[in-house]
Amino acid sequence: MNSPNLPPGESGPEGPEPPPDDVLAGEFVLGVLDIVQYRAAQARVDSDHAFAQRVAEWERRLGPWLADIEPVKAPEQVWGRICARLGWNEGARAPSGFWQSLGFWRAATVLSTVVALAAIVWSLQIAHTPTSQVPPIVLQPPPAQPEPGAKPVTPLSHDDGTPGWLASVDSSRGTVLMVPVPSAPDSQGRVTELWLIPAGKAPRSLGLVSINKSYTVTVPEDVRAALVAGSVLAVTLEPATGVPHAAPSGPIIAKGVI
Amino acid sequence: MLETNATSLEALLAQVALGSRDAFDALYRSTANRLFGICLRVLAERAEAEDALQEVFTTVWRKAAQFDPTKASATTWLAMIARNKAIDRLRSIPTRQARASIELAEDLEDPGASPPQQAQAATDRAQLENCLERLEPRRRSLIRAAFFDGLTYEELATKIEAPLGTIKSWIRRGLMQLRECLGP
Repeated sequence: MNSPNLPPGESGPEGPEPPPDDVLAGEFVLGVLDIVQYRAAQARVDSDHAFAQRVAEWERRLGPWLADIEPVKAPEQVWGRICARLGWNEGARAPSGFWQSLGFWRAATVLSTVVALAAIVWSLQIAHTPTSQVPPIVLQPPPAQPEPGAKPVTPLSHDDGTPGWLASVDSSRGTVLMVPVPSAPDSQGRVTELWLIPAGKAPRSLGLVSINKSYTVTVPEDVRAALVAGSVLAVTLEPATGVPHAAPSGPIIAKGVI
Repeated sequence: MLETNATSLEALLAQVALGSRDAFDALYRSTANRLFGICLRVLAERAEAEDALQEVFTTVWRKAAQFDPTKASATTWLAMIARNKAIDRLRSIPTRQARASIELAEDLEDPGASPPQQAQAATDRAQLENCLERLEPRRRSLIRAAFFDGLTYEELATKIEAPLGTIKSWIRRGLMQLRECLGP
């Protein structure tokens, strides 16, 4: 097992001493370091990628132990304190069940709008005429028999349940037609960026999305496989420079599950 | 809408990474009891554990984008954040009283773990147990005490009245044996 090519300190299983960093990372995760050593190791996790990697490995090895600890009911007030700390209005989202029924009513109210907008998206796809103005909402259901090849529509809803965009996903072509419900630009000058989030994976930027014009987004080939049911499309507010960003940093303003 | 498909902790974390408060709310309701149990195990003092739990979730909100499902399960990732915050707080308390044994378990169900997650967690747990069983009993109990009670080398040495160097050597060897057994 021992290879002569291994660098000093990187010995195989039979080797005399493992690299000191790995010992330190293990001690850090195990929790045996005193306050001074602990803080020093913590600082290294933030600055030294290789060390952070070793710590992550130890967390993965020892983490399952934590499953042995019995859950204890978290005190009610903690949720409110978390919301306050994050600058949220805690009353709006108590961790009780009431918002679920509220969500039902919101959904019911919004449904007719979504249906009407879906009709618009459908007609846009048939006509292939991009437009800068979304026509007035007509409270008509879409035609009962869509053309063959008609695409499913995903509403991207704001937190209050109202739709912000409608997305029509064409997974065979790797495109997403985005139709906004026109809204005011961000007061802080941030731009709206579209993200595709495959289930259980990190978000991928699909670039900017307009707040008042519909157009087709071409999805990069390596993420097209994620244009499937269960993935999430979301829009966040981001700094105007550096688009597409590697990861979202601003607040989410609309989202929907494909 | 959010509720339709996003039921796994991994999916919830991905949405929290994008700033979804609904997902954060759901994540809290799924995991708070389990994570509070972890904080309380390390800190014993209820008020301290509450503060730690608050820090855990504000950290999760900020760092959700750093969660990488290829490196750890969401369950383990969240549990380790809870333990790290608790240990951090424990180290910051200047005078520590001897810990009493804690029996606060209320046998709560954990709605956050779906059956497949429980199965994976059980497999990981069984593997760890299997490797621990191979350690010399003394190393095993030392490592266990260190992990669950958050005891430092010095505290362990005082507690079992053994030289500090001996304790360090036992634990380090135990850790390396575990590493070999559990893999990289």
